[in-house]
Amino acid sequence: MPLPRHPLPRWEMDPPTPVERHIRDRRRRRAFLAFLAVAALAMFVYWRYLADVPRDYTRVEDQFKYGSIGSEQGNGVPYWIWKVLPEMFPEHLPRNGLSGYEALGFVVERDAEGRPLHDTPVGFSRRRTVGRVELVGLNCASCHVSVYRGSESEEPRVTLGMPAHRLDLLSYFGFLIRCARDPRFTTDNLMAAIDRRASLDPIERLAYRSVAIPRTRERLLAVGGRAERLFEHPSGVGRIDTFTPYKLIQFGYRDPEKLRPGNTDLPSIWNQKIRGGMQLHWDGNNTSVHERNISAGIGAGASPTSIDLARLARIEAWLWTLPPPKWPEGWKFDAGLAERGAPIYRRYCADCHGLPEEDFQGRRVGTVVPIGEIGTDPERLKSYTVDFMNNQYSLGVDQDWRFHAFRKTGGYANQPLDGIWARAPYLHNGSVPTLRHLLSPAAERPGRFHVGDDVYDQDALGFSWERAGRGGVTFPEFDATRLGDSNAGHEGPAYGTDLPEADKAALLEYLKTL
Amino acid sequence: MTDGDGRSAWDSIGEPLAFPRSGLTVKNRIFRSSISGSFDSYDGTGGYARINWEEKFARGGVGAIISSFVPVARRGRILPSYAMIHDDSTIPFWGAVADRVHAHGCKFIIQLSHSGRQQDVPGVENRYRVALSSTSDMDTFHGLLCRSMTKGEIDEVVEQFGLAARRAQRAGLDGVETHSSHGYLINQFLSSGINDRTDEYGGPLENRARLLREIVRSIRAHTDGHFHLQCKISAVDYNNAIYPWEKKGNVLEDSVRVCQWLEEDGVDALHVSTGSIFPHPRSPAGDFPIDVASEVYGRMLYSGVRGGFNQRVFSARLGIAPRLFRWWWRRRRGPIIEGINAAHCAEIKAHVSIPVLLNGGIQRASLAARVIREGIADGVTIARPLIANNDLPKHWEAGLDQPPRPCTFCNKCLLNALANPLGCYELSRYAHDYDAMMDEVMSVFHPSPHEAANL
Repeated sequence: MPLPRHPLPRWEMDPPTPVERHIRDRRRRRAFLAFLAVAALAMFVYWRYLADVPRDYTRVEDQFKYGSIGSEQGNGVPYWIWKVLPEMFPEHLPRNGLSGYEALGFVVERDAEGRPLHDTPVGFSRRRTVGRVELVGLNCASCHVSVYRGSESEEPRVTLGMPAHRLDLLSYFGFLIRCARDPRFTTDNLMAAIDRRASLDPIERLAYRSVAIPRTRERLLAVGGRAERLFEHPSGVGRIDTFTPYKLIQFGYRDPEKLRPGNTDLPSIWNQKIRGGMQLHWDGNNTSVHERNISAGIGAGASPTSIDLARLARIEAWLWTLPPPKWPEGWKFDAGLAERGAPIYRRYCADCHGLPEEDFQGRRVGTVVPIGEIGTDPERLKSYTVDFMNNQYSLGVDQDWRFHAFRKTGGYANQPLDGIWARAPYLHNGSVPTLRHLLSPAAERPGRFHVGDDVYDQDALGFSWERAGRGGVTFPEFDATRLGDSNAGHEGPAYGTDLPEADKAALLEYLKTL
Repeated sequence: MTDGDGRSAWDSIGEPLAFPRSGLTVKNRIFRSSISGSFDSYDGTGGYARINWEEKFARGGVGAIISSFVPVARRGRILPSYAMIHDDSTIPFWGAVADRVHAHGCKFIIQLSHSGRQQDVPGVENRYRVALSSTSDMDTFHGLLCRSMTKGEIDEVVEQFGLAARRAQRAGLDGVETHSSHGYLINQFLSSGINDRTDEYGGPLENRARLLREIVRSIRAHTDGHFHLQCKISAVDYNNAIYPWEKKGNVLEDSVRVCQWLEEDGVDALHVSTGSIFPHPRSPAGDFPIDVASEVYGRMLYSGVRGGFNQRVFSARLGIAPRLFRWWWRRRRGPIIEGINAAHCAEIKAHVSIPVLLNGGIQRASLAARVIREGIADGVTIARPLIANNDLPKHWEAGLDQPPRPCTFCNKCLLNALANPLGCYELSRYAHDYDAMMDEVMSVFHPSPHEAANL
């Protein structure tokens, strides 16, 4: 009987018998199946417990409101901890008549019956990480979505790209830090609270119990320790100190002289296309929209490695042409008066702020006016130092987006006034509640006013500022006498503060059209 | 020992049995059923130990001996060192066996066999051959590989059986038995649980029985006069005994029909057993000695592709798997051991007029006598109780219902046969004297031809 030829030279002296061949083939088959099974298991484990999976949204508007920009890994809080903290520690939230994260001024989208549409307010994104733990982080919408209404009887209108004029972002971090410092912030207490709300799978439970809760506490305590000085000059509602958190947390600044507060009003972020090449930020320290966006993402909590550039790019592209909100239909508006205001605008404002018919482009638009000339509060300008800039350049040294366009300037930048009516309060530090006040000499501007109301003053063009509360909700007070909060500057004949009342009225009416 | 009529059991058992067609007459109703150890030369050349072995039973008083599994071809062997009848050169050996057995007034019927796929140890000669069968599906217990036979191969096997019968006749043997049961080749064709052919040898029962009937014709054609020919049949296959998800195989009605055809074809007698694999929980009915299995199963490790799995089951250290297996084996057997096939045999007996022999662990004279008197069978075929007590017939004749140290149906003989000389390995029967047991087991090797020459 001729033996089958051996397929390949091998160490065996004889070819395999039929039984050996069968067993060999079966072994290979099983090894292959085992490999598939292990691979499938590995994929399952990876996808379920290890992968970094952000929640994404089909509509770019939803992505903007709830999508991730990569801040969770840097600064996020595990979802269920985030969820139970306001219930466990309501006393650490501002006592202003609102509850939960809404008390901090975050916008909650609601249906017609008043039920929240999402698990989180606008501005919170969720991203799943190791152990199936979902982290909650901030995104662009935290600081750039807000609401307004013409009167108490109107429903608030959620407006994307608008400065979050009711948000007290520093207090959000303050809340988290105070929770972590509370002796009741224990693993057992948190797990008990979480178990009342959710049924976690065993691995997720383990991750929460042994990693997420202790680590969150440690991190918040560490950040709290380093950020202590921030709370000495709280930015309050509608504002944020742009650079001090950076200095304290990322760069470890300790010298009080270098830690001067630089509280600024939150800006609008619509219509970015017209801003290309302009000097951006209040002090005009950067001319690149893209760099400004990355810097803002890092400000929202993303780290140089966690920042999600792909998702940020989607938002960036959409913001490029997002139009500013129009003066609402039905609100007070006198077209004839506005028409009379147009030449006044052209004469007094257009040189620095641009004309809408020219897409707000102009020689001086988006350029810095020296601080001596503009005369507004200098603290924000001082807080951005050459040293700090130098430190910024140390961020993301191995990243393609590494900063290169930051510069130290000597004043504040002119801005296009698109949608200016919705950008109250005014000046870089939000020290002037309405446009009418901005057209008044500094001495006549209110030294103290209330911030955080969403009812709009259609005569003065700004949010209602005199009322200390409305419908059970109280509004904190802005005090222009504090360091960095002066309401001086942008005044004098060239700025229109000496104009006759009639001209001011016409100009204000015209500003409603921008 | 007497029954109500005052007749002793031996009156029935001791009565000669004449096979009317072949004219063969056996002096009593006791047949040594086929059983055998590896007594011969590796290549199947018969050895003196086999002659000694068969003589033990002849001397003990059985009426006839049905030989061990005797392959008609090298491809049809179940173990090496089993005497074969595949070649004319084997005739003198079988003649020598006949002479020694006949000296005690005992007849010798040779069991013509072909393993088909059920080759426990194919031997080095078959190392590169896949076994032949009615199917290409492996055996499910050991994973023995096989392929479906071609028509040419079937014809060749049919011829091999005929030639083997002619050799048996020329050797002076008293008859032949086709091993058409226990899951060997012919049973693989008969069984609806195994045969998956689509040609004239598969499908309906007539087709599945075609191979056996062709073999019967071939034997008739190759032998002179009316040489005694009997067929061993598994009355019921119980093909799913070990793995319940297997097909059940043939049922009693199928076998009755086959037996009727065989009677029509001129077969002289039928030998009724059970099971479409061997061993089977019901054949030989008894225990499954796991300890022996774990020792000897290694010899079958590379016979099939499931040897490794079985070996792990039998030798599992934790002992749960072997215990489960043993529990399952016993459960699939059922409560009856002695005469386990009696009911099936009675049914076959009722449908044929040729003599029928009943296989299945009968050790008590009273039971054997009852089988004969009640017309369940015309004779009983016994193996294990005769291994334990070669002189069982003499005990019965002396009026004992069963010998003082009876067979315990432990089946240690069965499993030891895979690797060790066949004999009774039930230590309790030797008063737990291991050396005494070994002396008895090894007695088959004496006298050797050299000792005999000096006698």
